[in-house]
Order: sequence, then C-alpha cells, then structure tokens
Amino acid sequence: MAALKNRSLTQSISGLLLLLIGVLIALPLVGAAEFSLRDGGRDKHSFKSYAWIFQQEDFITNAVTTIEIAVVAVLVTFILMVPTVAWLHIYGKKYIKFVEVLTVLPLIIPVVALATGAALALPAWLQSTKYVLSMMYVVLAMPFTFRALDIGMRGVQLEILVSAGRNLGAPWRAVILKVITPVILPSIFAALFLTVALSLGEFTLAQLLHWTTFPTWVAVAAQGNILGATALSVGSLLTAWVLLFSFTFFDRKKTNHQEEE
Amino acid sequence: MAKDLILAQSLLEAEGTGARNRTGFSGLGLKKVFPLFPLTIFISVFFFWPIGAVFINAFKNNDGSFTWANYQLLFQEPYNKAFYNSVKLGLISALTGAIPGTLVAIAIAQNGSVRLRKFIASISGVLANTGGVPLAFMFLAAFGPEGLATLAFKAIGLDLYGLGFTLFSFWGLVIIYSYFQIPIMVIVFMPALDSLRKEWRDAAYNLGASNTQYWLRVGIPLLTPSFVASFLLLFASGFSAFATARAMTVGNISLVPLIIGTLLDGNVTVNQFNLGYALAMGMIVVALLAMIPYLLIQARTSKWQR
Repeated sequence: MAALKNRSLTQSISGLLLLLIGVLIALPLVGAAEFSLRDGGRDKHSFKSYAWIFQQEDFITNAVTTIEIAVVAVLVTFILMVPTVAWLHIYGKKYIKFVEVLTVLPLIIPVVALATGAALALPAWLQSTKYVLSMMYVVLAMPFTFRALDIGMRGVQLEILVSAGRNLGAPWRAVILKVITPVILPSIFAALFLTVALSLGEFTLAQLLHWTTFPTWVAVAAQGNILGATALSVGSLLTAWVLLFSFTFFDRKKTNHQEEE
Repeated sequence: MAKDLILAQSLLEAEGTGARNRTGFSGLGLKKVFPLFPLTIFISVFFFWPIGAVFINAFKNNDGSFTWANYQLLFQEPYNKAFYNSVKLGLISALTGAIPGTLVAIAIAQNGSVRLRKFIASISGVLANTGGVPLAFMFLAAFGPEGLATLAFKAIGLDLYGLGFTLFSFWGLVIIYSYFQIPIMVIVFMPALDSLRKEWRDAAYNLGASNTQYWLRVGIPLLTPSFVASFLLLFASGFSAFATARAMTVGNISLVPLIIGTLLDGNVTVNQFNLGYALAMGMIVVALLAMIPYLLIQARTSKWQR
C-alpha cells in the first residue's frame, strides 16, 4: 500500500515538473508569436508583419536556395550512407567500429573551426557553387545519420534476413527491394529527416562561406524591421517544427508494428 | 542495378572470408573494403582536408614561413579572455541544461506512459534543432521590455527589468541556450535511464534494499558516467554555438567563435587570417578535451545499454 501511495506521489511530482518545464518552453514562443502580431501597440493585433514577409523580394529566392541545398544534401546522404551502412551490416561487421569513429568526428570539431577550414582549403570552383554547403551538411549530419542507420539495421539483423531470402531462392533484386528496403525504411527516413532539419536551419557555415541562405537572410532582414523579424523567426521556427514533427509522426507510424512485441 | 552487382560481388567475397579472415589490408583485403572508399574519400575531402589546412596554416606568418606567434597570441589579451568567456558559457549553459534535462528524463521514466514518452522525444528532437537567429529573435520579442513574457512575470510580481535583467548579457545567453540544451540533455540521457533494467531493481529489492539504497548503490553509480558524458556534450554545444551568440551580442561579450567569424568575414585586414586559424585550432583543442572523454564513456556505457 505504502509503495503504491509513494508511486502516485512521485507521479504527481513528475507530472507537475513536466508541466512547469512545458510552460517555460511555451512562454518564449507564445510571447514571440503575440509580439509578431502586434500592430502599433500592445492591444492592437494584425497579420501586418506576416504580410511584410511576403512582400520581401528576397524571401522566395532565399527559401528556394535553402530548399535546393537541403535536397542535394539529402540525395548525397542517401547515396553515400545507405549502401555503405548496409554493406557494413551484411559483410563488413568488423569495420563498423572504424566507420563509427570516422563518422562521429564532425561532432567533435566546432562548426566554426570546420567552416574556417572549408573556406581556406576547398578549391575555388567548389566554393563558387552553393552546393558546397550541401556537402558540408552531409558531413555535419553524419554522426546522426550513421547512428540512425546503424541502429535501424542492427535491430533487424540484416545479415540473417539477407541469407534467409537468398536461401529461399529469392534473386538479389527481390532481396533488395522486398527484404532490405522495407525493413530499413524507417531508419532511412530518420536519417534523411535529420539531414533536412540540419540543412534548413544551418547558419554558421553559410555565413562563414559567404552564402546567403534563408537563415542568414533572416539575420539581415531583421535589421530593418523588428516586428517583421519576429514574425519571420516565429514563422520559420513553426514551419520547421511542423515539418520535423510530422516527420517523426510519420516515422512512428511506420515503426509501430515493430515495437509491438 | 549497380548496387545489385556490388552486393552480389561482396557476397561472393564474403563466402571466402572465413578462410582468409586474417589477410587484413593485403592486396585481397583492400579489394574487400572497396565499398568503404566512397565514404572515406568524402570525409577526407570535406572534413580532414579543411581541418588539416587550418592546422598547418595556423603555424604560418603572412610570408608563409613557420611561426609560433599565432598560438602565442591566444594566451594574450583579448584572446585569452575570449577563451575564458567561451569555456565559462559552455560550462554554465551545460549545467543549466543538464539538471532540468535530467529531471525531465526522470519524470518521463517515472510516468512511464509510452505516448507521453514519444511525444516528449519528438518535441525534444524538434527543440534541440532550434537554434540560431530565429531563437534569438524569439527571446528578444518575448522578453523584451514590452514582451508578453516580461509582462507575465510582472503580473506575478517579478519585475525583470527592475531587477537589472537584460538578454544582451552573459546570463541572457545562458537562458537562451537552455532552450536547446535542456532538450539535448533529455535526448542523450533518456537511453541511459531506459536501460536501467527492471531486473536490477527487482534484484536489489529482493535482496532487501530500500528505494534509497537502490538509487545510491545501483541507480546513481550506473547513471553517473552517462550524466558526465551528456554534460560534456552540452558543454561542447554551448562552447561552440555561433549563430545565437552572433545575433545576441553586439560586441559586448567576447567569445571565440564570434572573433573567428569577424576575422573571416573580411572586416579586418588580411594579415589576421592566420590568427583566425590559430583560434580555430584552440577551439578544436578545447572541444577535443570534452568530446574524447564523452565518446569513451559512451562507448563503455553502450555495452550494457544495448
């Protein structure tokens, strides 16, 4: 009985704590959202500042630039990481440790330092295209993308599935399309989603390699109109959050059947 | 189709691995690790090469000959002060992130509802990725003199600005950083909490341990390495954060990433570039001091967390 009572007590304490943290997290966001709707005073609200965003000529241009960079980063991550990690899990188990260490390195080095090096070392032809940022984002996301793929594939024991498929007479094509791809799809999505999230918000590399992307444009646009800048910040944060949240939701739906044990 | 071929090829090779497992990196071995080449080359070009270039150029003076002078500058005003500030910001923002983050993680673990856990995991994932300029503006609007948050605090009797509060300060940065530090802590510490197996608790209770004894002798010792590791990760993220700091400090707090940014932006004379490289190396060394223990602890704890 005492244990039961104790349990409900700790539950309500932890519930209270979560509520408090929730309020603290919501406060700046709600405050900023309210501020961005102000129209000349504390009591008058309108969407004026949001309309201002769309009147900015550079808004669409920079949003498109950032999306293009993100798409290329996702493609490169997909082509580079998925086959490599699948190979590691099927044939190269003894090299997993090596690749794990290799891919975690970008997490260790501060982005500012990496950006400094990229500006210094990468050849001019590479730095003259905005897709140099895509390549750098692939590297920056690697600690997360590798881990997502590694955990996903570790969980499904790819090696066994592949030999089972092969032994049952499935051709390679079928093994890849009907065995490998479906089981690792959730982890592929997780990895790509991490890359998208990183690419859409990255500021440091874009700034230090002198590219105008959406995040660096927000910083500049803010200098003229503080209400507009707030609207822009709230808008871009909310867009990013909705995007990320729907991704995780989608991912969760996909993985549901695996978790019901 | 090429992928089928590579897979098929490597299957053929894999069938022979039992016998020639010890060939290592001899001729045959190199062929065997061929699928690792693309990734290794990519990382070499976009990671090792830039870092190597920074390392080498930090030892050069403007004529391109060898010098220690750039590194010596790091230990002098104002650069030593900037390092001090950055390390302090990293440590304090790690602490203000780690403690609430741990409490949230424990609260979720205690509540145990799968739905709540997933919800908080998603939210944390989203918030941990929130950084940069928008985050700074969000706080400026909410905690500005006329902001809703300021008014809300005033309504409950806390006049922030009367108390001398400003976001444009060291502590302002600490508050803003906690917005991503707490979620990062929840994400990295949660697996450690989850992996405390129920069996261990049951075993302790069956052997007559009280709740307190279980936590003191089993729970906390098992979680300490993960806590330290998470703390180090938060330190590294606070130490090297750039975008938010750049938007929030108008030159009133000297931080290493900001100095590097100004040096590289070309707002200064060219002869300071090499100093920028030395500063970048300094940051790398500090980050290594935090991240190497982090990775070692992670590797150790992941053995029993799996």
